[in-house]
Amino acid sequence: MVEAFAVASGKGGTGKTTSTLALGMALAEEHDVTVVDADTGMANLLFHAGLAEVDVTLHDVLAGDAPTDAAAYERFGMRVVPCGTSLAGFRDADPERLRSVVADLARDTDVLLLDSPAALGSKSAILPVVLADRVVVVLNPTVPSLSDALKVQEYARSYGTDTAGVLFNRVRDDGAIDRVAEQAERYFDGPTLGTVPESDAVQSGRQAGEPLLAHAPDSPAARAYREAAATLEVRSGAAEDVAARFRSAVVPDPP
Amino acid sequence: MSVGPTGRLAVPHGTLVHSRVVESVAVAFREALDRSLTGYAVLTPQAALLLEEAAGVFTFEGGVPVLAYDVASDAGGTDALTAFPAGGPCRAELYELPADALDAVHETDELRVPPGAPADHLTGDTALADRCRERAPADRRDAEESDPLAAFLADEDRIAAIQEEAQAEAARRAEEWGLDDHLDADDSGTEATDRR
Repeated sequence: MVEAFAVASGKGGTGKTTSTLALGMALAEEHDVTVVDADTGMANLLFHAGLAEVDVTLHDVLAGDAPTDAAAYERFGMRVVPCGTSLAGFRDADPERLRSVVADLARDTDVLLLDSPAALGSKSAILPVVLADRVVVVLNPTVPSLSDALKVQEYARSYGTDTAGVLFNRVRDDGAIDRVAEQAERYFDGPTLGTVPESDAVQSGRQAGEPLLAHAPDSPAARAYREAAATLEVRSGAAEDVAARFRSAVVPDPP
Repeated sequence: MSVGPTGRLAVPHGTLVHSRVVESVAVAFREALDRSLTGYAVLTPQAALLLEEAAGVFTFEGGVPVLAYDVASDAGGTDALTAFPAGGPCRAELYELPADALDAVHETDELRVPPGAPADHLTGDTALADRCRERAPADRRDAEESDPLAAFLADEDRIAAIQEEAQAEAARRAEEWGLDDHLDADDSGTEATDRR
């Protein structure tokens, strides 16, 4: 039984990768969780998860040089599939294989989190949103970020992908955020999952190659992520359905 | 657009001092602040390639924004900030004017914006917005600034426009990318807001 979530935001800098790993770790307390860096053009999850030095990444799998299992690493209570960062790796990666990679992973997990590209302007960037059951929208409490989040939701809606919830990240003004979240909620199909305060621990965690929940588990940000994960209601679909959907999906053109 | 912009914002022609494509409007506002620009900026977003006359015009005193005007919608003041499509790269043209050349224009109250509002609304860069507020003269610094997020969220028409535009863009691109088979057949796109 599995549900696939695309963790998405319109643009970069919202803390999407931090959020993906934090939600993943929190959900892993109850579920089998697999996190995939689906941003094959600008991967960075490997740096956040201490996997910068690994030999095999999603790029190798997408190039046909390794089986899916070889790029899946057990870390922090989850299965983590990092992507490489080299241009050559990106060039050699065949996006067609991403569907079958995710289909393979879907067979053996409860929750699949796809860290999606921070863009809407290409076929490969939008594919995780197209394929996922639901989308978790990560945004910052700024006008441009909200505007982007609304766009992401419209793209997801267009493909029949529901919004599982909205996560406000990098919040500086604790006093105002509840009102903002309440006002924003009427424009989103899913609930506000949480509001995560800006935290220095995020940066130091990344420098240490550790997800926030491993690096600073007692920080206010980590607590906020755990609360957000508890709010996210996982609806498990049949693994075979998810796998079949990924396998039958339209193949993106090479970049 | 060489100036004197259009519609309700009649600015005298200035001297072009800076012209380039920048990655975001934040870069243009930083440039204006760093060079203490007195004059105006014409910002043409990349997305405007498809839209005629899409441009934002902002006047400055000592690098601090004073007026805002969105050419396409003829919106001024804070309304211009919600109407102006600020995402992504844009062409930034900065023009200088003598300080007194803008005195009369700056009395157009309906086009005025609080010093930090353009940075808050268009860039989300709170540090830049704070710098604009700090640089503003005392009489402007003390003025109440409306909460940009609250203003944005209260503007249902603007949000509906963003949603409708994104729906149309998603449908257009789906066809372009051969993903139209994946579009949700039930999603007629007629209810942009409050579809819960």
